[in-house]
Amino acid sequence: MSMLSTVVSNLFGGPATLMYPVKPREPHARTRGQIALNESLCDGCGNCARRCPAVAIEIVKEKKQWILYPDRCIICEVCADACNRNAIEVLPKWRTPFYKREQIVFQSKGGKEVKEKAGECPVEEV
Amino acid sequence: MAPRTITPFGPQHPVLPEPIQLKLTLEDEKVVDVLPAIGYGHRGIEKACELNEYPKNIYLCERICGICSAIHGMTYCDVVEKLWPLEIPPRAKYLRTIWAEMSRTHSHLLWLGLAVDALGFESMFMQYWRIREKVLDILEMTAGHRVTQSVAVVGGVRRDIDDDQKKHCIEVLKDVRKEAEALNNVLVNDYTVKARTVGKGVLSYDQAIALGCCGPHLRASGVKEDCRQLGYWAYGDLSFEPITAPGGDTYSRVAVRCGELLQAIDLQLEAFAKMPEGDIAAKPKGSPPANEAATRIEQPRGELFYYAKGNGTRNLERLRVRTPTYANIPSLLVMLPGCEMADVAIIVLSIDPCISCTER
Amino acid sequence: MIDKLKEISKDQLLAEVKKYADSKAKFVTGSCNDLGDKLEVTYYFNASPGMDMSALRFVVGKGEEVPSMTGIYLTAVLIENEMKELFGLKVKDLAIDFGGHMMLAQDSPVLPMLKSEDQKAAAQKGGK
Repeated sequence: MSMLSTVVSNLFGGPATLMYPVKPREPHARTRGQIALNESLCDGCGNCARRCPAVAIEIVKEKKQWILYPDRCIICEVCADACNRNAIEVLPKWRTPFYKREQIVFQSKGGKEVKEKAGECPVEEV
Repeated sequence: MAPRTITPFGPQHPVLPEPIQLKLTLEDEKVVDVLPAIGYGHRGIEKACELNEYPKNIYLCERICGICSAIHGMTYCDVVEKLWPLEIPPRAKYLRTIWAEMSRTHSHLLWLGLAVDALGFESMFMQYWRIREKVLDILEMTAGHRVTQSVAVVGGVRRDIDDDQKKHCIEVLKDVRKEAEALNNVLVNDYTVKARTVGKGVLSYDQAIALGCCGPHLRASGVKEDCRQLGYWAYGDLSFEPITAPGGDTYSRVAVRCGELLQAIDLQLEAFAKMPEGDIAAKPKGSPPANEAATRIEQPRGELFYYAKGNGTRNLERLRVRTPTYANIPSLLVMLPGCEMADVAIIVLSIDPCISCTER
Repeated sequence: MIDKLKEISKDQLLAEVKKYADSKAKFVTGSCNDLGDKLEVTYYFNASPGMDMSALRFVVGKGEEVPSMTGIYLTAVLIENEMKELFGLKVKDLAIDFGGHMMLAQDSPVLPMLKSEDQKAAAQKGGK
């Protein structure tokens, strides 16, 4: 009987769930969804790669490449905090699932994004 | 004497989200002996922590446990700070307390849901988990992630809670408290719940201490012991009194957790009200010196023990983690013999087992 | 610095642990350190009810036998089995002996928690 108040409030309270694919959940501003590089700001100093606890960032100095392994990344935001030039952005939207372990290559200061694929699977937009 | 059979309970069992095997010796339906076998989830995190640089271990330690990940990260930071020793700013202490209590709120809601589910009370399970969702939502809003908060850093915390967020959190928490109180009243007075839990899996006061139990499991046997009495972080400034229950049975454990759930919300509201302004992190100087330290922090499941030894380099010489379930598993050897096979599930669940935590 | 740490020898262990058991103290946990050619074992106790922790520590050579305290505190069975498996601490008379397969499986690394040569070298030159 004591459950009655909960039952009544549920009856008139409307659903607690969202109709997901039709109505996606809006992430909070602070949500850590994925990281991306603002290439025009990055100078390839390597602060992020040194501090990354998951070894998800690799920097190739000669080619000025900044390589992200999204399957390793734990989105802890350490790289974004470590970056002196605020070149790493944390976007609140989560990355979609992927089938292949891929790498995403950014060109530091290159302006134009160069994408290379480890597998034949398409790399999604970052 | 009836013939005995040995029945394996787990490692895959509907009530256990994680792998532990109990070899139950049964006489008809009665359990006469039990042997727990762990080791299905050993990941070698202690060794990995020796090989990593010390700031990177925070994120590794957070992955010891999925539910209390924030507290693992903060406890690791706490023990490393003790190596210098390094004093953290007052606001950081309050923020850590708030996130720790938020973790406790959602962990207890999770446990209460699982426990009533093991009893077959499915609608209550849905109710508890629905209000848990609100707590996870404010965790995501303040820390950036529902489960792996990653807010701790050696020297303080990484994120601040601003006034708008604070206002929203207080609103949600008051709401959660009201709903949880209504559900708790149903749960502790329900006839069926009482029939399934009262007098089941009894652990006396002396046994609980002799077996080294901790957390709500220990307090349900009447022992007034809680690491928060040490007054670490902001707990010294808050009005905190451990919640105990005298029975030592499964019902007492449910009652203690129901009480702690509301208490956790009260502590958060009090901490929000008293939180001072200021810095949120102090900067550690150099590497952790050659020293050793041990710390004990109250996790939702009980006392979390961290031991760290530094050697002056960026790596730690040794890190030892003892999680609460590690201390609570031996009590199964006393609680299970004599009970019915059908009650094994709820008794095992009543220690709130976190197996992957245990094996690290 | 560990507060209230008492250094003993391994022969005194059982007598000291008995004192804790008589005073109704709670066993908290143990930890083992690899000191190179020796192992350092520390056991922590808590005066229950309350939050007063003290510790016992002894150092033994690798390969020396150590008495088990599981006869006094059954709950130490997990930690002693763990030290036996991961550090090779030779604990005798265990109440429940998992036979080296509590944490590890058949094809797991042997004594994985002992320091590797690389680790020792890094600790030697690091910080200077």
